[in-house]
Amino acid sequence: MTSMLPLPEFKLLQPTTVAEALEMLSANSDAKLISGGTDLLPSMKHGLFKPKVLISTKRIKGLKDISINEEGLSIGAGVTHTSLRRSETVAGFAPALLEACKAIATPTIQSMGTIGGNILLDTRCVFYNQTRFWRDSINGCLKCDGSICHVVQNKQECFAAHSADTVPVLMVMGASVVIAGLQGERTVPIESLYDIDGRDSGRLKKEEILVRVIIPKTRGEFGFRKLRVRGAIDYPLIVTAVRITPDGGRVVVSGIGPAPIEIQEVTGAIASGDFSKAAEIARSQVKPLGTHNVSPNWRRHMVEVEVRRCLEKTSSKP
Amino acid sequence: MKDSCLGRGGRKIDGMERITGRAVFTADMTRPGMLHAAFLRSPHPHARVISIDTSQAMKIEGVKSIITGEHLPINFGVIPVAQDEHALATDKVRFVGDEVAAVAAISRSIAIEATRAIEVKYEVLEPVYSIEDALNPEKPILHEGRRKASNVLRRVFQKYGDIDAGMEEADLIIDEDYFYPGSTHVPLETQTALAEWDENGKLTLHSSTQVPHYLHKALARVLQVRTQDVRVIKPAVGAGYGGKSDPFSHEFCAAELSRRTGRPVMFILDREEVFYTHRGRHPAKMSLKMGFKNNGEITGVDFKVVSPGGAYASFGVVTSYYFGVFMTLPYKLENYRFEAKRLYTNHPPCGPKRGHGAIQPRFALEMHIDKAACQLGLDPAEMRRKNGVEPNTETCNGLRITSVAIDECIEEAVKASGYNEKYGKLPLGKGIGIAGSAYMCGALHGIYQNEMPQSAVQLLVDRSGRVAIYSGTSDIGQGSNHMLAAVVAERLGIEPTDCHVLEADTALTPVDLGSYSSRVTFMAGNAALSAVNQVRERIVSAAATKLECEPSDIILSNGEVFNGVSPDRKLEFKEAVVLAESAGGTVSVVGHYKPPPIGSRFRRQSVGPSPSYSFTAQVAAVTVDCETGIVIVDKIWCAHDCGKAINPTIVEGQIEGSVYMGVGEAFLEDHTFHTSGHAKGLHFGPSILEYKIPTIHDTPEIEAIIIESNDPEGPFGAKEAGEGPQMATVPAIANAIYDAVGVWMNEAPFTPDKVLRALKNKARADKRNAKIGGAE
Amino acid sequence: MNNDLVINLNVNGDSRSLLVGANRTLLEALRGDLRLTGTKHGCDAGDCGSCTVTIDGEPVLSCITLAAEANGCEIGTIEGVATTGKPSQLQRSFDDNVASQCGYCTPGFIIALDALFKHEPDAPENRIREILGSNICRCTGYTKIIDAALEAQSVMLGGDSEG
Repeated sequence: MTSMLPLPEFKLLQPTTVAEALEMLSANSDAKLISGGTDLLPSMKHGLFKPKVLISTKRIKGLKDISINEEGLSIGAGVTHTSLRRSETVAGFAPALLEACKAIATPTIQSMGTIGGNILLDTRCVFYNQTRFWRDSINGCLKCDGSICHVVQNKQECFAAHSADTVPVLMVMGASVVIAGLQGERTVPIESLYDIDGRDSGRLKKEEILVRVIIPKTRGEFGFRKLRVRGAIDYPLIVTAVRITPDGGRVVVSGIGPAPIEIQEVTGAIASGDFSKAAEIARSQVKPLGTHNVSPNWRRHMVEVEVRRCLEKTSSKP
Repeated sequence: MKDSCLGRGGRKIDGMERITGRAVFTADMTRPGMLHAAFLRSPHPHARVISIDTSQAMKIEGVKSIITGEHLPINFGVIPVAQDEHALATDKVRFVGDEVAAVAAISRSIAIEATRAIEVKYEVLEPVYSIEDALNPEKPILHEGRRKASNVLRRVFQKYGDIDAGMEEADLIIDEDYFYPGSTHVPLETQTALAEWDENGKLTLHSSTQVPHYLHKALARVLQVRTQDVRVIKPAVGAGYGGKSDPFSHEFCAAELSRRTGRPVMFILDREEVFYTHRGRHPAKMSLKMGFKNNGEITGVDFKVVSPGGAYASFGVVTSYYFGVFMTLPYKLENYRFEAKRLYTNHPPCGPKRGHGAIQPRFALEMHIDKAACQLGLDPAEMRRKNGVEPNTETCNGLRITSVAIDECIEEAVKASGYNEKYGKLPLGKGIGIAGSAYMCGALHGIYQNEMPQSAVQLLVDRSGRVAIYSGTSDIGQGSNHMLAAVVAERLGIEPTDCHVLEADTALTPVDLGSYSSRVTFMAGNAALSAVNQVRERIVSAAATKLECEPSDIILSNGEVFNGVSPDRKLEFKEAVVLAESAGGTVSVVGHYKPPPIGSRFRRQSVGPSPSYSFTAQVAAVTVDCETGIVIVDKIWCAHDCGKAINPTIVEGQIEGSVYMGVGEAFLEDHTFHTSGHAKGLHFGPSILEYKIPTIHDTPEIEAIIIESNDPEGPFGAKEAGEGPQMATVPAIANAIYDAVGVWMNEAPFTPDKVLRALKNKARADKRNAKIGGAE
Repeated sequence: MNNDLVINLNVNGDSRSLLVGANRTLLEALRGDLRLTGTKHGCDAGDCGSCTVTIDGEPVLSCITLAAEANGCEIGTIEGVATTGKPSQLQRSFDDNVASQCGYCTPGFIIALDALFKHEPDAPENRIREILGSNICRCTGYTKIIDAALEAQSVMLGGDSEG
């Protein structure tokens, strides 16, 4: 075979119901779910994951539904970003989510990747998202195959960055996720999925499946911005999502730490229309790391700019 | 009445096969019993190889052969004076990614698995990364056993005119430092080779190369076989931009593994390996001192450049000369001093990338000119135009200049962009900038010294009316096949599509030195012209007899051969060929091109002179976001003197592609390595995701303007278009940034972070100056 | 552990049955098993777009798609674009505008644009540009590619036809 980066061997299971998938998860100790595969398969080619079994969610019925009910807008975890962007229901209910979907990687990847995959996207780091040869040259890192963190040395803490474009928007919209397990379904606020350590990519329990996300009907205006180095084919340097209501609002920033950051105590500033103040508050609560050609100072400065511009853009919407 | 194909734009003769997926690239081939290969590469930047144990790896089922340095002990290197490479490490490894062993197995997976089972003991040595360390005699030497123990691959020092006198007569002297970063080609097709060693001891290597001829020679040398037993074929190649101009380890290893196993071996480098193979743009730290008169004349250029060039020489010796040679163009200059040092460091080796060696100095020189214009109160475009070199002159460093249209390039770029209406007049944050440049059309001398032609083209015309063009040229996407067909068709009055080009097969095609140094149109085009003129003569002579007129009255046009005096007397082209074939036997001729013996006054100036030079002027319009430092290029106008556009659409494509690559280098591309911690010396991100080549969203609108100076020696007047247009992109952008926000970005790439820092420094300085001014 | 699966693909209208390993990518199946080498591998990691094909009309990166996941689907590759030997309008526009230099990325661009025009025949220029952001071309600076796409669209919508 003429491939450059062969995938390791694994067994592929293709269940058609959530119950079947849950049984497969519990029957196989070293199994991993695969949805769009846009992040998992490159990572597996680089040896970041070596599951013996992949359980595909692609054929599970019901994971591709989009509907509106009394809870709000329900989106199946298997809905692709392209399907979301084509949905008039979503366009009417959550236009800011569409902006976030549009900012993901590339349109082709949007037609493969799913909302569920994005919600559970692995964290990223320049010492982690590398080939096996590259990582072997530094004996791995805390997140994979190693014992030290190369970002902040001498710390037993992982700084890999949460990079899911849709999550900040879902957070400001007050979304919750429905998780199916052997004991039934549980519904939790989306932010509860994100731990503070970048190592943990499996934020669900081992025998659980994210089945859908629910966006409640919430008043207010919602906005999204993504800052990236390149115009496409790029993960975020900073993702910003805001909510503005007559008496306050929310600001969530991501891309700069292991979890999305809900900016605290901005309600007053937003309510009074002082977006510069809100942006300053955001800046004071983040401590981004530098990366290639991007200093921590500039990135921190840009948090302030992005938050302010996001608030301005959102408030000036007709 | 003549329907000329010269200057006609539109499709290439072989365009559609690439658009339908029919074109066969090396990796698309397969052979019965074909094996797949993989490298074991060094995890250390600098280490001595103590021992290699392949015994466990050989036991893996499906592994057929493993080779290490001892199996390929002969050194090589594209430049004869710097043959410092081995296919696999023989004593030391010199960068993370250096090749240590190669495996052939029944699948790529097994080959990779086997590389991991090879045990290598290394003695780790101190690496040398920086310019300072490379110049420090206390630090380890990368290549021991050279005549002089040093990490300086080459120092070049040249002096023309009287630099001291030049500085003396200057009204203004500007002396500043610049840095231009390394970058890499990222051809979409990774380097690939398919080796087949047959039962008669003959090797056929299909390879994604720009230089089949040099590869042919190197294979014979390293594999210790006769050149007549080696055949190199270049199939369709997924571009190069200079990145496929060296003979590479995988090519030798594929061949050796095939010899050992008796089976075809396919060696496909993965994307990460292309970043280690590199041979990209040399990072350059530059000091430039220039003297100017009040009227803008340049009185002297004193230029120093030092480049940490990586672990092996590649073209580095040539780069050292190219750093300096084009600084005497396109502006008049009498007094010039130049010093370059190309260093060895423990990084992947740099080499030739589009605009080889000339891009970095051009960045410094063109910014210097704008700075001078600002200080002297002159218009930067007009200052350039007034000082442009004249046709049929010689530069102070001995370059013979024939056709020149730098003034027209500047005029047209200024006109199209509205430069005069905009420069210095746009609101804060909006800016426009200009830069000029010049580049070569092939080097006068090949890479190894010889008296033979640089390019030959064989034509075989037969009674079918078909014209077969045999040429050693390497079309890597630039359209050289079309160029050859158009040159031949034009002289024979037929269509380019009536020609069939067979290119780049060292067993079948006459030698051409390769697709590098922008030499192909000029040199292979002239070889084709020389061949077709001979064919034409035979056809004309046979037709004149038949049509009862003087040969000089014969006209070849629209697929017909006319009696020009009474045009109703005519033959089909095919009929005329039959007459010629009947009269004198098979119509088959060879034409060749050898550059004219241009004697330079300076013996030392043997690397760099060209039979002709292309010229370019470029204008960039930018928007700078003063709050973020983010620069958007709104548009680039590039006027390029290509001599004559044989196919204007292809020329435009070369201009657009060049500017695109310049924009990438201006903002995004920076071939960098970790500088601290455990990953020190490792490539920052050897992937397309991390090494951020521009997408369509990062590419500005580009307006290509073709200027034709009709070179007296170029084929139909043609010069080059593939590299020159990249020269001026980055300085034009830098000058536009200054026009927009008043900061000089002496260090590329212009990342938002750097631009914002420059803006803050400027604000501080302005405030200080205001304070001082207020106090007076 | 036998990880092989039998899959059925309809590739460019031809029904094909293949035995593939679970870890076989669709790209490997197309290029290796079916010898449809028009689809290219540029990075093998989902970054460049050279391997773009369609599954049931949607563009996907075949280098990061499992062949087994495409079981039962209709696959469209570059070999299926020029039907009965006649290049599509988009291909002709690419040719006329020399929108393909080295050509390595071209099949991916053709497939991505075809998929767009199938769903949105009258997509405005900014939408076409958005789609082209999926694919990297290192030769053309994208200028001729956008020219070709707009020209083809105009002809297909019944604008200035070249007959």
